[in-house]
Amino acid sequence: MNRLYNSLEPRVMDDDMLKLAVGEQGPQEEAGLLARQEGILFKDVLSLQLDFQNILRIDNLWQFENLRKLQLDNNVIERIEGLEKLTHLIWLDLSFNNIEAIEGLDTLVNLEDLSLFNNRISKIDSLDALVKLQVLSLGNNHIGNMMNIIYLRQFKNLRALSLSGNPIAEAEDYNMFILAYLPDLVYLDSRHIDDHMKGLAELKHQFSIDELKHRENLIQARLEDEQARQEELEEHKAAFVEHLNGPFLFDSMYAEDVEGNKLACLHGAGELLEAYKDKFVVICVNIFEYGLKQQEKRKVELDTFNECVQEAIQENQGQGKCRIAEFEEKHLLSLSAIRDESELSNLEKKIAECSKDISELFNTLMTLEMQLVEQLEETINMFERNIIDLVGLFIENVQSLMAQCRDLENHHHEKLLEIAISALEKTVKGEMEEELPDEVRAVSGLFVDKDTVVNAVGSSHDIHLLKIDNREDELVTRVNSWCTHLVDKIHKDEIMRNRRRVKEINQYVDHMQNELDNLECSDIID
Amino acid sequence: MEVLKEEEEEKEAAKQEAAAETAAEPVAEPSERGEMMQPQEVGRKGTIMTQEMLRDLEKKLLGIEITVPEKPSITTKDTIDISKLPRSYQSNTPEEEHLLEVADNFSRQYSHLCPDRVPLFLYPLNECEVPKFVSTTIRPTLMPYPELYNWDGCAQFVADFLSMEPLPDPLKPPSHLYSSTMVLAYQKGNCFDFSTLLCSLLIGSGYDAYCVNGYGSQDLCLMDLTREPCPLTVKPKEALWEKEAEPPKKYAVRPPRDLTSRFEQEQERKKQEKIKAEEERRQREEEERLQEVDSTGTDPLHGLRVHSWVLVLSGKREVPESFFIDPLTARSYSPQDDHFLGIESLWNHKNYWINMQDCWNCCKDLIFDLGDPVKWEYLLLGTDKPRLSMVEEEDDTLNEDYDIENLGKEDEDKCFDMPHSWVEQLEISPEVFETRCPSGKKVIQYKKAKLEKWAPYLNSNGLVCRLSTYKDPECTNILEVKEWYQNREDTLELRHINKVTGLIVDYFKPGHPQALRVHSYTSMQPEMDRVMEFYKTVRVDGLIRREETPKTMTEYYEGRPDFLSYRLVNFGPRVKKITLNSTESNPRTVLKITERFFRNPAKPADEDVAERVFLIMEERIQLRYHCRENHITASKREFLRRTEVDSKGNKIIMTPDMCSSFEVEPAEHTKKLLYQYETMMQLKKEEKLCRHQAWESELEVLEILKLREEEEEAHTLTISIYDTKRNEKSKEYREARERVMHEEHLQQVEAQLDYLAPFLAQLPPGEKLTRWQAIHVKEECLSDFKQRLIDKANLIQARFEKETQELQKKQQWYQENQVTLTAEDEDLYLSYCSQAMFRIRILEQRLNRHKEMAPLKYMALEEKLCKDPRLAELLKSFV
Repeated sequence: MNRLYNSLEPRVMDDDMLKLAVGEQGPQEEAGLLARQEGILFKDVLSLQLDFQNILRIDNLWQFENLRKLQLDNNVIERIEGLEKLTHLIWLDLSFNNIEAIEGLDTLVNLEDLSLFNNRISKIDSLDALVKLQVLSLGNNHIGNMMNIIYLRQFKNLRALSLSGNPIAEAEDYNMFILAYLPDLVYLDSRHIDDHMKGLAELKHQFSIDELKHRENLIQARLEDEQARQEELEEHKAAFVEHLNGPFLFDSMYAEDVEGNKLACLHGAGELLEAYKDKFVVICVNIFEYGLKQQEKRKVELDTFNECVQEAIQENQGQGKCRIAEFEEKHLLSLSAIRDESELSNLEKKIAECSKDISELFNTLMTLEMQLVEQLEETINMFERNIIDLVGLFIENVQSLMAQCRDLENHHHEKLLEIAISALEKTVKGEMEEELPDEVRAVSGLFVDKDTVVNAVGSSHDIHLLKIDNREDELVTRVNSWCTHLVDKIHKDEIMRNRRRVKEINQYVDHMQNELDNLECSDIID
Repeated sequence: MEVLKEEEEEKEAAKQEAAAETAAEPVAEPSERGEMMQPQEVGRKGTIMTQEMLRDLEKKLLGIEITVPEKPSITTKDTIDISKLPRSYQSNTPEEEHLLEVADNFSRQYSHLCPDRVPLFLYPLNECEVPKFVSTTIRPTLMPYPELYNWDGCAQFVADFLSMEPLPDPLKPPSHLYSSTMVLAYQKGNCFDFSTLLCSLLIGSGYDAYCVNGYGSQDLCLMDLTREPCPLTVKPKEALWEKEAEPPKKYAVRPPRDLTSRFEQEQERKKQEKIKAEEERRQREEEERLQEVDSTGTDPLHGLRVHSWVLVLSGKREVPESFFIDPLTARSYSPQDDHFLGIESLWNHKNYWINMQDCWNCCKDLIFDLGDPVKWEYLLLGTDKPRLSMVEEEDDTLNEDYDIENLGKEDEDKCFDMPHSWVEQLEISPEVFETRCPSGKKVIQYKKAKLEKWAPYLNSNGLVCRLSTYKDPECTNILEVKEWYQNREDTLELRHINKVTGLIVDYFKPGHPQALRVHSYTSMQPEMDRVMEFYKTVRVDGLIRREETPKTMTEYYEGRPDFLSYRLVNFGPRVKKITLNSTESNPRTVLKITERFFRNPAKPADEDVAERVFLIMEERIQLRYHCRENHITASKREFLRRTEVDSKGNKIIMTPDMCSSFEVEPAEHTKKLLYQYETMMQLKKEEKLCRHQAWESELEVLEILKLREEEEEAHTLTISIYDTKRNEKSKEYREARERVMHEEHLQQVEAQLDYLAPFLAQLPPGEKLTRWQAIHVKEECLSDFKQRLIDKANLIQARFEKETQELQKKQQWYQENQVTLTAEDEDLYLSYCSQAMFRIRILEQRLNRHKEMAPLKYMALEEKLCKDPRLAELLKSFV
């Protein structure tokens, strides 16, 4: 087909071309007149047709932000590009072009109908972003590998597929294979699929499909697992106690502690370490549980607060709406009275009355708003106090638990020191040599003199304390910053709300006043 | 009158004295107690009456007698054929005789010990003039109708089913007490018959029920409900939903400061209270006045009128508190009620108790502990009523009991049980049960109300109940009428007619062809005030209510995909058309259409129209949008299209002044003329649609009205498919099925025909067949069958030939007379020919078929004979 146009000069998608197309395809008749008067903005255009234009390169389409349907068929396009901004696109036609690979569609998440008929595509891929895809036309291309079909399994909404005219369509198993691997398909190559055929195909490929399904299920399950774990971790993070429901902290203490690990091999130190670990983990779990409980408490607190604020705002809004409705009823009557009035003095009186009404409405609404602001401020302050108290309590308790950890560490340190020194003494006496197992022999470098031993034990102790301190600091900082952010946000939201409302009231009243003034003017002119 | 008052006071004083005495001495002499047993009004007999009063009384008594017409009651013997009654009715069994003796003895002792009390109602005569003990007249029965399982259903049934006859002597218990079977058969009875029947039903369904012989008020005894408000008119008290004060929330906002004056509020409240008090006082006065009016006609026989009712004691069937049922009206009363003035005795199917308590204060102080022999004297020992365990208190009374009891009875009498009831099994046929009231109709007069009841299907329009409420006690001014219907094909359930305003409200059950639920109207003419409500789940368009006035039509919708909730159409006067074409409908002009919509969550608030008004005459369209969240003002837009042509004669498409709008958040695209133009065009289209819909609604109203009129006219009743008596179709079907069954049965009988029987019968009976005989029998049977087949073939052949000959003859005749034949004759001939040909063809077919089938049939018979058990053995060896 496109040979025909090859002889012509390829054209560039410039503004003029687009304008012409938009003008031609825009509203017709009376509306068209209006449209021409005003001009059409590209971003208001919903559908655009650019077929048989001999276009080589897609370009200049970034302004059509709201485009829903784009036809670029029967051109000489070689690459899919320049479509990134058209995120609302639902319908894309690129048939009868010279495209060789599918690309550049990653932002078109709303696309439902894609036609790439009669191109030079040899592989189906890069369609992952198109989760809503329903119709895919890939006929008359160079697709030769049946495995491309399996790639299409991920599109749960795909109902119509056309692949005729591809090398794979000549395979005798073509129909059966597709029907078996894409069971949700309703139309294949523009033909309705009957259930009988589907059943046959399923039977034929049952084994391979079952295997495939099994694999897919496994992946899916793993993904879900991962997600669940992630969610749990997020929850714990929100409570600021992540990784405290197990020996994570303890393990991290020993992860970078070379000496500590060496010392653990000493006679008696192993059991000591075990006991220490158990106790330590118990405290960690305590912190963890306490943290979750506190988080729950904070959440309840926040919810009650939000609920109450919402209630107050709703009630206030209801009152405001009521006032406005009352006013509007009255205002309509007085407006029509003004229109009907012919006597000038009466007219002025009525207009004055009317504007008085408007200003009264303004006052009432503003009073209501001020009242609400006062009420909310008080409530917010109360909430602020409460949440800070809660956080303070939380920190205090966590700190005391952490102190327990530190005590344990100190205790352990002392015990370990004793063991180490006694071991040293033994080494000095030469008793150790035969007692020590081989692996400890490596440690024996430590047991040179007392200082080395004490230093080794001390540095191990320091590392441990540092880890504990770090964890505590992290928790405290995060919880504090969360609290500050929350309170800030509440204050800011309230201010925003207030401003919006004041603006709204002003706007409304201005509009009313304007309307009245216009009426006045026109009356005076009359 | 002064004198009278004084007398009254004296009497009161005396009474109180007596009461105090009895209260002081609980174990008083029986004679003294007996005196007090009579309710207070006994004393009135002794008071001196003025001549006037006597005359007055006489008049009243006469009046009373007039209300009780002298009808031949069922007591007249000739109406009852005694001879057909079962034996237990006509005589007493030895046990019963014994019981009667015991009762007689008891009664004698009782009258000896309590000479001042009226004789006991123990063994009245039954319809066969045989004395029967009252307890044996109770026949506990559980009826096979679910409606009769609860006490209220039973009471209502008894009250509806029987028509009341006053006692022959209002001051004495009747001399006869008929069996309940008799009462059910005649559907008539006095209060004793009523309570006996009701008691039988209640005990049968497990209640602890007793028949009571006592004294009732006049209204009660004469079944006069004219002073009672109708239970249907009494509105159920609305349960006060006391909102539980929610616990104050932690962050409740403080209410705005109240700046009104406390003092003023106080003053205002005081004023209100004063007005309220004044009103209350007035109301009270009014009530008092009314009560006075009511109580003017006091009954001279107050406290002497004998009545019988039913007492249900708490305990069984989860009855929480003891109560009385008046069997005449089926109403339940608490024992504290003023209508019940005293109890003489009570009984169930097992025993008989005499009240030994004082009834000076009606039944209010009575304690229904039948195990307490001080309060209740029993006739038979050894019933299962629990006795009081407080022995010390009972000591003297127990002795007394023994005195009374042991005088004539031996020890073994103690365990003498009440004999079984002499009454036959109570039976109520379904038809009678459905008809309920005698001849299916019943009228009850209440205070300012009249209730009429009919059996279902009695009225051709399905009317089953009608309640008329009156303005005045004389029941002349009808206020409103409520009519209940059943089994109507148009599912009409209740019609409420307000006679004052002329408003009629029809209520329909689900299932009306137009999904009508409620229809209230004053006239069936269209374009008048009316309200129609619909079952919204049935209607596709979600209409739930349509209100009409002469100038407007308002429709309420719910659950529509376009979120329409309300449409108001204002009509103008009809334009007079001068067209000859009168069939064309002439709709009224539409002035204004207002539509409101629910919020469509899929659209942003600024584009979701909340209300649109088409001012059709002014060519103006007003739109009001929904309010955004957290906003108090809503966008508005108004389109005006007056000038189509500008000053130069050019057509104006759209100018900025044709659309004025207020936007909460001004958007860019809405300012464009194109957008406005498109919106306006859309609205124009929708305006047309709206007008069309309004017109359709009008048509629908006309249609519904027409349908309603037709339904009213036809008032067909539906018949349940389970109703075997009334449902013609099912009857036919059943009959058809029975017929088919019968035929099938016949066929089966035929199939079992014994071919060999006639041949075997020729042989000497009882002998075993020899082989030769067996072969012979078989041969004979087969040859016989062959002969029959040949005969049949011959018969068909003969008929065939006959038909053919006749046809030939006819043809000959036709050919001869063809010229002279009239057209009619020719037609006749032709039709004959075709029929004859048909017959011949059929005969031919039959013959052919017979020829085909005959050998087969022959073979089949032969095979059958071979397998016949009587011949098989013999033939086998032969083969």
